[in-house]
Amino acid sequence: MSISIEHLTKTYGKFAAVDDVTIDIPSGSVFGLLGPNGAGKTTTFKCMLGLARSTSGAVRFDGKPLTAQTFEYLSYVPERSVLYDWMTGDQHLEMHKRTFSRYNEKRAAELMQLFSLDGRKRVRAMSKGMRTALSVVMAFAIDPDIMVLDEPTSGLDPVNQRSVLKLIIDASAQGKTVVLSSHQIGQVERAADHIAVMKQGKVVLGGAVDDLKAGSKIVEGIFPSDSIALNGLSSDARIKRVEKTGRIVRLTVSAGGDVLARQLSVMGAQSVRIVDLNLEDIFLDAVDAGQTANIVETA
Amino acid sequence: MPAVLTVDTRSGVPIYLQIIEQIKRSVALGVLAPGEQLPTVKQMALDLTINPNTVARAYQELERDEVIETARGRGSFVRSNGVAQSSAHAAANDVVAEALMQAVREAKSVGLTSAQVRALFEAALARWFPEEA
Repeated sequence: MSISIEHLTKTYGKFAAVDDVTIDIPSGSVFGLLGPNGAGKTTTFKCMLGLARSTSGAVRFDGKPLTAQTFEYLSYVPERSVLYDWMTGDQHLEMHKRTFSRYNEKRAAELMQLFSLDGRKRVRAMSKGMRTALSVVMAFAIDPDIMVLDEPTSGLDPVNQRSVLKLIIDASAQGKTVVLSSHQIGQVERAADHIAVMKQGKVVLGGAVDDLKAGSKIVEGIFPSDSIALNGLSSDARIKRVEKTGRIVRLTVSAGGDVLARQLSVMGAQSVRIVDLNLEDIFLDAVDAGQTANIVETA
Repeated sequence: MPAVLTVDTRSGVPIYLQIIEQIKRSVALGVLAPGEQLPTVKQMALDLTINPNTVARAYQELERDEVIETARGRGSFVRSNGVAQSSAHAAANDVVAEALMQAVREAKSVGLTSAQVRALFEAALARWFPEEA
């Protein structure tokens, strides 16, 4: 099932927590939403699911607005767990069983075992990681078509983090649509095929992970002297950033690395090299830099 | 599948390209034999903990490059029936071409002339193919 978020905005007074966000989540994809704390990821999820009223914009599931029926086949793991302190894990599952027609008891038991959870334990006595794990168990026990997972690995040890990742991959292999946020970029890169990066409520970068990685490079040229005319570069839309340090010019590009490397040669660079960027570099660059090409010169 | 595939997320190379490269290398080296079955997309995705669509994309490109073939409902196999030999050659070619391309680019970037690069290449040939020297 595809999800499209169209011009979504959520303001609190004058502050725009989500600012004109448009995201297309293809059916059957794993979509990773990245961004620093306070970027608007959780608010976007809440608006998407009707848990917070959006100021403007629309969200469509397979082209249709959210209805009560959508929740029959949708799982949501919120950033802050909404478990009841005084209830045990088993009681949560029992409640889940009565709420969701697609609840699978056998699957729930397997998942409890996978995360070594004791169903008799009250949430009050659980660690942060155990609470996250219980939320994940509940999310995967109802065989949903759409999963919205807000930080589904927070507080988990590396073994359990890997288990969550495998559950997501398994769900994706069955054609389910998964939307997740995480601060662990390496995890997102493994699990996700599409990502968007949010910063201050806006989407600053988005697309297929492979395309983003394939295009993003640093092109570095070393010139014979430090008087280099950079004017021609700033107007090129493929160049995200120009840094000049003495005789070295470094271009952060989103595409056309080869062409731009040749251009530096033509401009007189003695030596030119192209460096691949990994997703973390691309993320940090999107969060650090403005949306327009800028020129940074240091002596 | 006997070959151990690995994925490096710190690398700037897209994951599907990492998989293509490693499978081509395995075919070229004969680690993956003609007719040998590859894991299903789902199995490989779970083994490597990577997105299934990423594996599917790698398989599609390997199919297009005639390294593997997919029989609907039966799975993906290293190409055989006479094509195997040529697909192993093609795979070996691709792997080596990419390595050479990088070496030449590196040589140019540190300022070597093409004559100097050719001399280095001849020296490497002489070392690894002494019988032809």
